[in-house]
Amino acid sequence: MVNLTIDGKQVTVSKAATIYEAALEAGIHIPVLCYAKKLLPYGACRVCLVEVEQMKGRLIPSCTTPVTQGMVVTTTSAEINKVRKTVLEFLLVNHVVECPVCDKGGECDLQDLTFEHEVYPNRFTGEKFALPTDEVNPLIERNMNRCVLCGKCARVCDEIVAFGSYSFINRGFESKIATAFDRGLNCEFCGQCVSMCPVGAILPRPFKFKARPWQLKEVDSVCGYCGNGCTVTLGVLKDKVETIRFNDKTGVNDGNLCIRGRFGYSYVNSEDRLTKPLVRKDGKLVQTDWKEALDTVVSGFAKARAEKGVGIVTGARLTNEELFLLKNLAKAMGTGNLDHSGGESYKGVTEGLFETLGVTASTATFPQVEECDTILSIRSDFYETHPVFGMVVNQAVKRHDAHLIVIADKRGKFGKLPHAETLLAKPGLEVNILNAMAQSLLADGLAITDGVEGVVELQAALADYTPELVAAQTGVPAAAIRAAAQQLAKAKKSAILLAYGLPYTAHSRELGIAAANLAILTGIPGREGSGLYLCGEKANSQGAIDLQIVPGKEALDSQSMFQAAAAGTLSALYIVGEDPLTSYPDRKKIETALDKVPFLVVQDIFLSPTAQQADVVLPAASFAEKDGTFTNAERRLQRVRQGIPLPGEAKTDYAIFELLAGRFGKQVSFTGPEAVFSQIAASTPGYGGIEYGAIGPQGVVWGGDLLAVKRRKVVAVAGGKPVETPYQLITGSSLYHNGTVSTRATGPLAVIPSPFVELGREDASTLQVKEGDLLTLRANGVEIKLAAKIDTRMPKGVLFAPYHFSSAGLNRIFTGQAAVPVEVSK
Amino acid sequence: MFKAFAKGLSITFKHMLPGHSVTVQYPHVKLKPSDRFRGLHRLVPAHDREKCVACYLCPTVCPAKCITVESAENAKGEKYPRIYEIDMLRCIFCGYCVEACPVEALEMTGAYELANYRRSDFVFTKERLLK
Repeated sequence: MVNLTIDGKQVTVSKAATIYEAALEAGIHIPVLCYAKKLLPYGACRVCLVEVEQMKGRLIPSCTTPVTQGMVVTTTSAEINKVRKTVLEFLLVNHVVECPVCDKGGECDLQDLTFEHEVYPNRFTGEKFALPTDEVNPLIERNMNRCVLCGKCARVCDEIVAFGSYSFINRGFESKIATAFDRGLNCEFCGQCVSMCPVGAILPRPFKFKARPWQLKEVDSVCGYCGNGCTVTLGVLKDKVETIRFNDKTGVNDGNLCIRGRFGYSYVNSEDRLTKPLVRKDGKLVQTDWKEALDTVVSGFAKARAEKGVGIVTGARLTNEELFLLKNLAKAMGTGNLDHSGGESYKGVTEGLFETLGVTASTATFPQVEECDTILSIRSDFYETHPVFGMVVNQAVKRHDAHLIVIADKRGKFGKLPHAETLLAKPGLEVNILNAMAQSLLADGLAITDGVEGVVELQAALADYTPELVAAQTGVPAAAIRAAAQQLAKAKKSAILLAYGLPYTAHSRELGIAAANLAILTGIPGREGSGLYLCGEKANSQGAIDLQIVPGKEALDSQSMFQAAAAGTLSALYIVGEDPLTSYPDRKKIETALDKVPFLVVQDIFLSPTAQQADVVLPAASFAEKDGTFTNAERRLQRVRQGIPLPGEAKTDYAIFELLAGRFGKQVSFTGPEAVFSQIAASTPGYGGIEYGAIGPQGVVWGGDLLAVKRRKVVAVAGGKPVETPYQLITGSSLYHNGTVSTRATGPLAVIPSPFVELGREDASTLQVKEGDLLTLRANGVEIKLAAKIDTRMPKGVLFAPYHFSSAGLNRIFTGQAAVPVEVSK
Repeated sequence: MFKAFAKGLSITFKHMLPGHSVTVQYPHVKLKPSDRFRGLHRLVPAHDREKCVACYLCPTVCPAKCITVESAENAKGEKYPRIYEIDMLRCIFCGYCVEACPVEALEMTGAYELANYRRSDFVFTKERLLK
């Protein structure tokens, strides 16, 4: 710690702090344009100049100067103000002053500083910028005439997003921020630059001219898409979510967001939202009132209960409170057939991790990854499924020189990072490589085996997985596997990342175990700063696991429920917040099940393809319309807050479950989510002692930053077998979408408007296809047609198609395999 | 002293003579208000549109909350007021809106005859304000 004096105030800060940070801590405001907490110091704007007693004679930029012992700092004086004013005058010489039409007006740092320093009139005159604006893309608008060259956009894009869209070009007065070849922006569209820009040079286009910042009601909530659980601040105007604001002061994940979080909100306001319950009459779904809908549901379920039983399948975007009520409802209905997210997709955690470590969650928190020395990402898709956690990995690599190893069947963004190494394997063989790494650690005596159960058995079982044998199978060089294993073993802090979700059902249990084995052998569980991260696909996947939304003893899981329904041995299905027809593997099976099941109730926010098959459709609430808590993939409990009223007569899932439970004779009378949460806290392992009211902006991580594991037991798992056809199709998540609901949001649709199949250049030239050509994919006797997208990401013979779009019919050929053998023709 | 009284009263008596009354026979005769008078608002037209750029400063500064603005983007990509309404029943004619306007798009005219038969007629839309 270092002691210094700022404006006569004694301050003690860490020696890594800068003068600016020290002043901030002491509550002293220093004006600044180019500083951002999450970026490295830069010193571009020269507004934060201060006087330091020990460095007399010139003014010192406070944001780049580290503190030293005994420093005496003055932050305001006549001279300093004069210099600051001059800096602003220089900026305003070229800056086009169009505040009345600039959407930043009201929260513009330059505007505030100009007002504060009374920079009027300007002593200098000069030519105003007259650069063309970039309005090519529908999400981010750039007007470089307003730029103050602080470089924040270029820095955030490089340091955190690791995309590198922007940089400074030209010199002197001509300097400006530009993209490659000064063309229109074409990037991930995460909008991090929008959130960083201190002026109106980079703005969100969907919000253009919609409102002034002071008119918006800001509601801090949690993004409803993936398991990252980023803080989103809803910008609400007249009961509509008009934009997503950012919160980098108190928000989780530093206020970082991806395209889904920042631009994927518009489905909430969609005209297609369900506003009234629907009941099937004479084969047609017609609007009705709640009374009739609930009567139909209750009588239908009562009848089904007396016959062959009811099955309940839920999605993982319900709040913890809603899941708790659903579980109670299932009990009231007397059924144990309760499951979420396709049943298969979370087995890596619930079975894999439970068998090996005795826990069912990631063992550490995201921010710890920033300090890791070695990071192993299983499947390159990790960035696509969890982009903001991906940004943490980027920071670890860029700032901490972390060594990143990616085991993948296709190249991805992670592979382009410095020091990143991609072990490019044939699809479906990740377990084999993990096994080989474990084998090499054990064989070389690098493994940590103290207090680990099952080492001898594992060693024997891994005899078939020497790096050489696996190399022959997977195409990854044996030396690379060995080197990766050694990297992981020698790291003091390391992380293993694996995402799970609906398109990744294959080997999910095996992958969980293999990853846990490797984690145990390299000493990750329980070690400070290290972690094994198994991250759920949806906003509350972890909550669903914590609350045990899984089949009861001898009850059916979701796959078996659909199987039973198809076979006619289940009388009713209740599907909540899920569209199995689009997103679950094997559409044929789901179709038959939905067709055959005598009574189908769907509770959703849209009339999804599944809902269209239902006997009763109940309109529910989106994440922006309800209160409660989500648990993210690092076990962080966060508050979801209602920003807008429900559309029409729609009800929250909470209210619907409460009504139904009452009708089934289990009247629950909670006063609200808070009361339900106290019940959850009392009955859920790990949640004990957490109070609803005490969940602050940073949430509460249950189990602590480092989750104590119950045991360390390595278990042998068999690897996959390569698919030996010339073409194989893999599926997964696209960066711009998440689940199926994002296909109703204009932001993600602006970038990826329709389904596609991605293939490498080599395959494209063999097949003689061009970008956009329709490719016919044939497998299991089914044919689907998808537009081709050609790039350099895919290895030869491997095709990738994202699973989000219903119209693609991808799950007609994808039935849960790691790789689908396909025949491809034009 | 007497002289001063006579002088003062002479002015008083002068005003009693015909032709010196300040009362105007309204509505047959109407006075022209001063240039600084704050009457009905007027949106200033530019050559093909209103001068207003929908910056929202007037509804923000308005103490009576009588101005409704909704901005939008026109075909040229410019910001313009899709809706601009002033509710004259709420307006207190303080003139802050005119003072706040950064582009001199709003002014107050001398029109003070604002009586009407329906409440809705007191809401002046953009078209009426542009006249």
